[in-house]
Amino acid sequence: MIMKNQIVFALLCLFIFVNPCHAEEINAQKLLEQVDDNLWANTKFITGRLIIDNGRKVRTLTQDSWMQGVDRSYSHYKSPAREKGTKMLKIGGKLWMYTPRTDRKVLIAGHLLRQSMMGSDLSYEDMMEDHKLSHSYAATLEGFEEFTGVNCAVLHLVSRDKETTYQTRKVWINKEERIVLKEERFAKSGKLLKQIVFLDYGKIDHRMFPRTMIFRDMLKENTRTTYKFDVIEFDVEIPAKYFSQSILKR
Amino acid sequence: MNWDIANKNFYRQGLRAFLNVLVTALSIIALIFMLSLLNGFQAQATRNLVSTDVGGGHYRVPGFDILTPTEWEDFTMTVPEVLNGLTAKDKAEVLIQQGQLYPNRRLFPVQLRGIEMNQSLLHLPLAGLKSYDDKMGNMIPVVVGVKMARKAHLKKGDTVVLKWRDKGGAVDARDVLVVDVGDIVNPRIDNGVVWLRLDHLRSMTDRDKEVSWVAVREYLGPVNGFEFQGIDLLMSDLLALLRQDRINSKILWGILMVLVCTSVFNTQILNIFKRQKEIGTLMALGMEPGRIVRIFTLEGVLAALWALVLTVFLGVPFFIWFQGVGFDVSHLSEASFPIRETIYPDYQPREILVSVSIVLALIIAAAWVPVKKIIRLDPTLALRGRAIT
Repeated sequence: MIMKNQIVFALLCLFIFVNPCHAEEINAQKLLEQVDDNLWANTKFITGRLIIDNGRKVRTLTQDSWMQGVDRSYSHYKSPAREKGTKMLKIGGKLWMYTPRTDRKVLIAGHLLRQSMMGSDLSYEDMMEDHKLSHSYAATLEGFEEFTGVNCAVLHLVSRDKETTYQTRKVWINKEERIVLKEERFAKSGKLLKQIVFLDYGKIDHRMFPRTMIFRDMLKENTRTTYKFDVIEFDVEIPAKYFSQSILKR
Repeated sequence: MNWDIANKNFYRQGLRAFLNVLVTALSIIALIFMLSLLNGFQAQATRNLVSTDVGGGHYRVPGFDILTPTEWEDFTMTVPEVLNGLTAKDKAEVLIQQGQLYPNRRLFPVQLRGIEMNQSLLHLPLAGLKSYDDKMGNMIPVVVGVKMARKAHLKKGDTVVLKWRDKGGAVDARDVLVVDVGDIVNPRIDNGVVWLRLDHLRSMTDRDKEVSWVAVREYLGPVNGFEFQGIDLLMSDLLALLRQDRINSKILWGILMVLVCTSVFNTQILNIFKRQKEIGTLMALGMEPGRIVRIFTLEGVLAALWALVLTVFLGVPFFIWFQGVGFDVSHLSEASFPIRETIYPDYQPREILVSVSIVLALIIAAAWVPVKKIIRLDPTLALRGRAIT
């Protein structure tokens, strides 16, 4: 009888203290924090190309972007001629867009942020998104999976609040490099909405940063938007005027 | 006496008089037809709007504007107690939200319109939704109109992805099943609209008991937190369009009248020119010029009266026949007019009476103006046929 009780007690201890899910949840969150730490910088400057393929036509937009924290960013489109001179300024939850053709700035707020940006697979909201995943989501380890020849930890992210656009995400993380290789964004129902593949990682300063991101709206057919970063600089000095509405003019 | 002379003279004009009468009669028929068709159009459009969308007016959330889709989600409220107490035949709760449909994996922005299933105020072909449970399953049942189905290449039984946002802003998407393609006579609630059960839409968007508006049978006085928009306000664009149509029809009516009056005027001028010796003889025999004017004017009046008789003979059978076949306006289904079926004229006796009276008055005036110069005629010159050259 005593023997039997000891076995039950031992099993109970094993269940409580060596619960693999519990252990992995902590690791998953830590891994996500490490990913954020790698990508995160106070300020960033990026010169990039946005290649929008809607299945019938491919358009390439070039832009310079300056970002400060999660709240401020400023982008200036340099080509094609149709978009040249377009400027976008994000301050907090608001986005202003200036188009030289109309010589007017338009506030893109609220529901307008959910519209497709310039016909791409990204909404303005997606484009503006620059927050730490580890802050907004609770991560659990789903398992391990091979992606592009790398054994990745697959994390399941669940939003910490009800107002986050994508309530769940899944990220494929290279454990060794602490970098994200693929991300999937889901609807509340669990339907896959967007897929992002991160390519061409390279060392910039002391960080591993992808030089290419491929966005796909999974509800559409044959569309993709490729974001290529030609120049990336971290912790740069950004003039204050870049985050002022006065910059939204010719 | 005057009447007998005028009558004899009128018949002597022969074909000329007949043509005058015919032109006038056809113009009166065209005028009545035009007015009645516009009346019919307005009546049917109003009936369609009222029975499918407007009811007796809407109690709307203040600030809600159907033409600003990006703000629909900001203007919803819970139904107030005073409206909650109404029976199903006196109110219809409606919730409007934005959505994105992906037929053939192409983006199609839509209006999601949730409506109570037990309401009987508005007549909509949504029977297909009624058989579903108020608890949403994996597949959301929806109904689309014929126009919407054609544009989005949808048919009954199709499954398609629908994306929307909930109250907090979280994005959601599911497969929806097109349970029916309804024939909705009002294109405004067909094109770009996906119809759902109100309980399903509320559940999808986390908006328990919320509405964008409540359509009611009649005005119930002010309701706290809501503003009432009556039929005239909700139909203001259509009424403005019809007002413009009436102005246009008046221009057309004016042209017709000018033609009729010109015809009568011309006939009268020809009459006094050709019959100046007769006028001179009558004056020489002692007839007062004023009486001669009355006789000639009566001839014009006779033309108008015979035109009226001919209008009855030609017009009444035509109107009866047309009331049976109607005017096919199926071509308007591509426009946003809330009317797709055949239009039937709506004859308003008072309107017809007033219009015909105006026509008669104009014809009498057109008959009198050219002959009034007889008063100043020199009988000796008239006898020689040289008074009017």
